[in-house]
Amino acid sequence: MSLTKVSLSEIVRQQYVYKLKAFIQVFMSLVFVQIIAILFSQGGSGMMGSGGGLIDLEVHYYSADVVVAFTMLWGFITAILITTKAYRNDDFIFVTNRISSNLSNMLFLLTASVIGGITSMMSTYLVKIIIALFKGDHFINSSAASAPSVGLFFGICATILYIFLFCSLGYLVGTVVQLSRVFAFALPVVFVGGLFFDGMRGQAGIIESLFTFFFMENSFVLFIFKILFTVCLSFSAAFILSNRMEVKP
Amino acid sequence: MTLHLDGTKPIYIQISEWLENEILDGNFESDQKIYSQYQLADIFNINPATAAKGLNILAEEQILYKKRGLGMFVESNAKDLILSKRKNQTLKRLVQEIVMEAQRLNVSKQELIEMINAIKLGEERE
Amino acid sequence: MSMIECRGLTKVFGGTKALNNFTCEINENTITGLIGRNGAGKTTLLKIIAGYHQQTSGEIKVFSEEPFNNLTVSANMIFVHDQLNLPTALNLQEILDVMAGFYKNWDRELAHRLFDYFSFHPMQYYNGLSKGMKSTFNMILGLAARTPLTIFDEPTTGMDAAVRKDFYRALLKDYIAYPRTIILSSHHLDEIEDLLEDILVVKQGQELLHMPIAELREYAIGLEGKNALVKEWTKDREIIFSKNGAFDQSYVVVRNDFSESELYQAELAGIEILPVSSSDVCVYLTSKTKGGIDDVFNKG
Repeated sequence: MSLTKVSLSEIVRQQYVYKLKAFIQVFMSLVFVQIIAILFSQGGSGMMGSGGGLIDLEVHYYSADVVVAFTMLWGFITAILITTKAYRNDDFIFVTNRISSNLSNMLFLLTASVIGGITSMMSTYLVKIIIALFKGDHFINSSAASAPSVGLFFGICATILYIFLFCSLGYLVGTVVQLSRVFAFALPVVFVGGLFFDGMRGQAGIIESLFTFFFMENSFVLFIFKILFTVCLSFSAAFILSNRMEVKP
Repeated sequence: MTLHLDGTKPIYIQISEWLENEILDGNFESDQKIYSQYQLADIFNINPATAAKGLNILAEEQILYKKRGLGMFVESNAKDLILSKRKNQTLKRLVQEIVMEAQRLNVSKQELIEMINAIKLGEERE
Repeated sequence: MSMIECRGLTKVFGGTKALNNFTCEINENTITGLIGRNGAGKTTLLKIIAGYHQQTSGEIKVFSEEPFNNLTVSANMIFVHDQLNLPTALNLQEILDVMAGFYKNWDRELAHRLFDYFSFHPMQYYNGLSKGMKSTFNMILGLAARTPLTIFDEPTTGMDAAVRKDFYRALLKDYIAYPRTIILSSHHLDEIEDLLEDILVVKQGQELLHMPIAELREYAIGLEGKNALVKEWTKDREIIFSKNGAFDQSYVVVRNDFSESELYQAELAGIEILPVSSSDVCVYLTSKTKGGIDDVFNKG
């Protein structure tokens, strides 16, 4: 029987198509997470009140920020999930090597980020409609999100990139944990411990400066560059770490 | 026919003997193509290599001959070869066993010959 | 031509050597039976061949390539074992469709016929199947993938006798139609031995025997008779197994290097000559002591 020659790109494509189908639960969980987030949004993301004499003024800000945040978390967890045993070894009954498996996972996470990004931005409208319908107060629409515009497009792009950033970090974390179980405890301890330590010192530590680095960037181009650079870095790290990994049932 | 897969005889020997019987029974004429190793493997549910071994024994004994790319064919004097082989080997061995058992039971040569005669006589009466 | 070449293969797991300087060659288009006790290193060997594990030292070539993390090897090989991780979100029909996409030689027709024959339902999920049905489904994957190298590790786990028989028949028929290299590991040598061309016996991570199965049948011979007599006939010979029976009788299995006339002499002397089945030979060869379970109960 003669050997069949396969190309990496062909296998990656096959795996990607297969993963879209096989990881369908991931998208169900997205719907669930976003519904929960929309419900949370009803509380408003900010409130300002003032009063004087007969007039009481309360201003509530409603936005889909909670939805975006939840979706980022979802991306992070999804990425960890697909590095776990239940998913990771699925490829090996089919044709694969580590590179193709990682590449198709990356493509899948990118797709998930795009879908997550678009739906979470769209949920802004849903939040507003619900507010308008069920809270009989005066409703003032902010101009930025009132009509589809260049702003919305940038918003979606940024959201997608944020989610993809979290996916890549999750993927790296998941891969590291697969290397050794120790990291499953060590990483949260370091992260939470770092927050506490910063809090105790009362000054900005690494975690806070990382937050500023990614979320407070004013230049969109620079922002894209920062995110893509980090994404590449964490995926490459995950690729390298997993490349010599054995398949353990 | 079924093979005695757990028997003493190796399977390929059983295959070659089965083929010999087929030839003796006249199921294959001389110069007729005999079963291929794959057909035998399928019939008896055995590995084709084992079947080939059975065929090769017969080829070595010049009961079959090979035609390149076509398979194995029955030699013209196959029947005679098989008959003489069986006489010289199989029958001889059986007689040996009989003689051995007779020694163990203290049966004399004369008695043994009489027993054989009796069986022959019985056959002829039928 | 050899399909698989191992030279001095060693695999260490947490200090113990699952494979210890293992060397063997497996020829193209043969069905090889891999036999060994639990823990002998069978599965480790298969996983290295399949490219799942990487050897600690030594060399391995599959299709003349290093199998670990190798796409060509993966595309031309299927490794069927009883802990197969199949996607839980897909039903059986969808799994078959995915397989068809990945494996170039996939035979849809065969898969479909076997699927119907074993009365699977397309909408069933793999995790809902019983152990035996899972094995049966795995078997369909292994056969229909029709890869140049097909590895079955304990494929019949949980199958009932009828399905096992069907499986062996299906394997043989498909092999006859599409010859390829097949490795079959099993605890039941008596069930598979007729299918095999070669047998590879593994003991403590090393190759113990690798020969055509036909030769294994004549590898050993059993002598039974009076103690003293058997002792005399088996001295200076390689004793594989011995057992003392009741009434001064003993049964000894030795390497069969007797000549025809020697056996005849032995029989005349009153020793019974018994053939030893391949599976018994394997049990004796792979056991850790010469005696067997009886020794545990014979305290003195």
